[in-house]
Amino acid sequence: MNPGNLEPCVSGSSESGIVFSIQKFSTEDGPGIRTTVFLKGCPLRCPWCHNPESLSREPELVWYSQRCLGDGACQKACPEKALSRAKSGIIINRKRCNNCGICVEECPAGALEILGKKVSVPEIMTEVLKDSRYYEKSGGGVTFSGGEPTLQNEFLLELLKASRAAGLHTALDTCGQCRPEILAALLPEVDLVLFDLKTLDRDALKQATGGQLDLILDNLRLVDSRDKPIWVRVPVIPGHTDSPANIEAIARFIGSELRQVERLDLLAFSNLCIAKYEQLGMDFSLKGALLFTEEEMLDLRRIAVSAGVNNVVISGPMRVSGETNAK
Amino acid sequence: MAALAEPAVNLWSPSDKLSPRIRRLRDEYFSYSERDYFQNEVMSFTTGQPWDVVYSEHTWGVAPEVFPFMDAFKASLLVDAQTVPLNPEFWREPTIIRRALFFKEVAEKYLPVQVLEGELIAGGQFNTASSRTLTKKEARKFKKMEKRYVQTLKELDALGYGNAGATPGHLIPDYPTVLKIGFKGLQQRFESLLTQAVSKSHRDFLQALIICTEVPRTLAGRYAQKLRELSQRESEPGRKRELLQMAEICARVPWEPARGYWEALQSLWFTHMLVMAAESYPGPGLSYGRFDQFLYPYFEQDLKSGIIDRDFAKEILESFFIKNNYVYDFQGRVGNNQGINSSFGQLITLSGMGPRGEDLTNDFTYLCLDVIEEINLLEPKPNVRLHKNTPGQLLRRVVEIVSRAQGAPFLINFDEISMRALEWIGLPKDKLWDYAPVGCLENTLQGNDRSGTVDVNINLAKAVELVLFNGQDQATGKQVGPRTGDPLQFKTFEDFFQAYQKQTLHVMEKLIGLYNLSDEIRARYEPVPYLSTLVRGCEASGKDVTQGGPEYNFITMEGAALATTVDSLLAVKKLIFEEKKVGMSELIQAIKANYEGYDLLRQRLTHKAPKYGNDDPSSDELARRVSQFWSQAVTRYTSPFTGRRYRAGYLSWNYWIAYAPKTAATPDGRKRGTFLSNGVCPVNGADRHGPTAVINSVGNLNLATIPNGSSHTLSLSPSLARGKEHQEKLMGLLRANIEHGSSALQINIIDPETLKKAQQNPDEYRNLLVRVTGYNAYFVTLGKEIQDEIIARESHRV
Ligand code: SF4
Ligand code: SF4
Repeated sequence: MNPGNLEPCVSGSSESGIVFSIQKFSTEDGPGIRTTVFLKGCPLRCPWCHNPESLSREPELVWYSQRCLGDGACQKACPEKALSRAKSGIIINRKRCNNCGICVEECPAGALEILGKKVSVPEIMTEVLKDSRYYEKSGGGVTFSGGEPTLQNEFLLELLKASRAAGLHTALDTCGQCRPEILAALLPEVDLVLFDLKTLDRDALKQATGGQLDLILDNLRLVDSRDKPIWVRVPVIPGHTDSPANIEAIARFIGSELRQVERLDLLAFSNLCIAKYEQLGMDFSLKGALLFTEEEMLDLRRIAVSAGVNNVVISGPMRVSGETNAK
Repeated sequence: MAALAEPAVNLWSPSDKLSPRIRRLRDEYFSYSERDYFQNEVMSFTTGQPWDVVYSEHTWGVAPEVFPFMDAFKASLLVDAQTVPLNPEFWREPTIIRRALFFKEVAEKYLPVQVLEGELIAGGQFNTASSRTLTKKEARKFKKMEKRYVQTLKELDALGYGNAGATPGHLIPDYPTVLKIGFKGLQQRFESLLTQAVSKSHRDFLQALIICTEVPRTLAGRYAQKLRELSQRESEPGRKRELLQMAEICARVPWEPARGYWEALQSLWFTHMLVMAAESYPGPGLSYGRFDQFLYPYFEQDLKSGIIDRDFAKEILESFFIKNNYVYDFQGRVGNNQGINSSFGQLITLSGMGPRGEDLTNDFTYLCLDVIEEINLLEPKPNVRLHKNTPGQLLRRVVEIVSRAQGAPFLINFDEISMRALEWIGLPKDKLWDYAPVGCLENTLQGNDRSGTVDVNINLAKAVELVLFNGQDQATGKQVGPRTGDPLQFKTFEDFFQAYQKQTLHVMEKLIGLYNLSDEIRARYEPVPYLSTLVRGCEASGKDVTQGGPEYNFITMEGAALATTVDSLLAVKKLIFEEKKVGMSELIQAIKANYEGYDLLRQRLTHKAPKYGNDDPSSDELARRVSQFWSQAVTRYTSPFTGRRYRAGYLSWNYWIAYAPKTAATPDGRKRGTFLSNGVCPVNGADRHGPTAVINSVGNLNLATIPNGSSHTLSLSPSLARGKEHQEKLMGLLRANIEHGSSALQINIIDPETLKKAQQNPDEYRNLLVRVTGYNAYFVTLGKEIQDEIIARESHRV
């Protein structure tokens, strides 16, 4: 792992890239009904990431315990002897596994899956265009997210161009941790930027995620200067980004320095991703953290509004005050 | 007055906007056991002849859950029947006139007349089981035919083929004409035709119609009398005035044309409730048609001239709505039942397009929507027609109602898709804009169309079983279908598919034979002259509504288990014939064993075969092929006695449950007993790409060959419908379905937690409404199996 790494993906090209999911009827990634294409690989390592499968730049085999029958067909089939069985279930030796997919084919129960497939621009566009009618009727379009999609900048640029050529509204969901010239080259093909901003505390950001605040803010200013509408999205994470001071600082920054921000989204921390971490054999450091209550989120919203941003939207799972987390 | 039981939980209760009067009337309806002074129980009436018939099985032929009780119903209704004295001339009349005279006697002398406290629309006890007035000879023939029918019905039902029966209701009478010219005008029309009619049978028929036009007049007159008496006793001056006014209204309508809004609704209710009395079945699918269109002129005129204000207009409408719920009052007694028969589908259609594609939404449309939302009752059931030019305001209102978990259940119909299929079956293009659904979503024309919209129900998955066992029923081993060859010898998927087609035709023809029999029984022995006064075409053709008299006549075969069938065929195609990962003999062994000991194979079939509902072109192509095959084939048949032609629909009612145990395990990995698929929906859990993909797959079926309409139910978690932004996205989803999708859509927004609570504490949730499939039901009255199914479905979406 190399947090902060700005090098574009080596496996990427303009014709094909690694995509780990295409989500239809995506209602949370921009206006209208959208399809979100998730590109794999991310330069940051946010401990609250709810798409841990997006982090690595390479395809990854995952195993779903609930579906597994324990028959061992996968083990028998694996030419690399990368699979073994323990009490806890199938163990994947990631050093050995080369993601050939043979075990996935053999598993009768769909308990194995390779996340991240190499796909071509036309393949993606065929999927995306299936829902054109919905975009048209709802003012929606296509969103490219990740991971950090700009890591596969050449592929992304082709996808954006193809989408534009098909008349689709395009949104780019970025964390801003990328080379400004890459972003600048993409922007002409983008109609809306969803810009993830975590905190304005330079050291805390660096420490928690590996991100470089100055680079990120420069990129945000760059988008603003190109007259692209922006939705700033702040993940509100317990102990990391949830202080009123942080929310206030972000809102003030938007109010004083940016002209193109159409809305500020405060996304309440979610723990629905715990299972995904388990499937990938990763640790979720926020396992025990409580969800926010609606009152807490409304308070933050008020703070942001009084600091100068008019359109502040809160969303995400919220807890009824007094309760602990629902399962 | 007895204290009325308050619903224990406020969730799913009516809005606080209801007036105290309407709230009380609504609560009164729900308090069945406290309401011993007024119930709409079945009253049976006989000619007193020992061979008399007051109940016919074919009326209930499409309701397998009542088969075990039919004999008991038949016997007890006859034993309990009141004898209606008849003079000897009665027996010299032809059947049609006897039916008219008997109906007249019952309505004039026997139907009770009561008015409830505070109600604004009168008329409530009309649930009859009336004599078929058969002569001894007729009765003998009738019973012989009926016996043959019941025997075949039970056979085909037990095999899991499906069912068929000449179901009453399920049409839209020509109510607007009654409002315009009254039964008086109808009578004049029939009298003038009588002077021209040449044949005796035509003259008899017209005489019968003329007799029936008197019935509403007399019955309404009895209500007028009652209202006058009540007004004399009433001390509260406001109510006294109301009662007097109601007396005047009932003295006029439905005999005279309605002059205003209140008269129109009262006229409509009397006319409607008498259809149910005449058909002797509590009105399944007897629908109003374009309610907001034909009532709007009365509403607008009275509002403009200041005769009524909006609030009072609303109260009258609410009083009318409550009336519609008494139709199935007997369910209050039956209580928690295991079947789904909780909704009778008196459908009101709102909005929709005009002759030039223009939108016809009006102020009254919005008033109806307000009432639907605030009163939150099962009946009448609303269906809103959407089309290309539907205004945003209406769409927004529709989505708001759908989105609120508290809102009344709601169906959405799509005009362009519906009309395209009606055109395909040969209905006149220039009249299609004025179509309306009946029952749930079954598309017909209004006032002139007897389309028997749920009369035949086919289990499309049965043919897959018959192919695998070379025409044998797997459970019994009986050779029931044609021998289409040993599947082990099939070389290609095409061989398999051709066998499937042959078996489907076999199942189809069996059911058609069954229906033809019931159609003939009804046409010969059970004319309904009163209803014939209300369906255009009968008077001119001289034929009863049951005899093919209306201008348009179809019989619908409704397909159940489409997706189960398609997924089964897809699994066979991919895993057996393409990838050769599974052997045919292994599959057959596994199905024989109901997959016991074949779990790996079952998993493979479940997870490794393509499934319909994912907007996957090759899967959808096979789905389209299956759908088009049977829906086109069925149009080649007509019922010989009445000349009515068959057509297809996708409304699976509860057959996807009823036929689950009667269908062997299927190659999609489903075990015997697991529910079949419903309407045009994918198999539960088989759709993995969300609602847009499902709607696309449904649209890919090309539903132009499904004139009767196609039922699609979409479940969304409440979070997807909360707030203005998400509601706008739902509006987009609906606008897209206007162009490509099913003809009808139902959106369920209920969170599973609420349902689980209701399952555990049924008493606290007794008016919790859920949308099952093309119809609605009180959740707590559903069987546990179905409840679990609904919970599973909801959980799956969250
Ligand atoms: S993907 Fe290939 S290498 Fe990896 S575990 Fe499966 S079979 Fe073995
Ligand atoms: S083949 Fe699939 S179901 Fe069988 S043990 Fe491996 S992962 Fe589990």
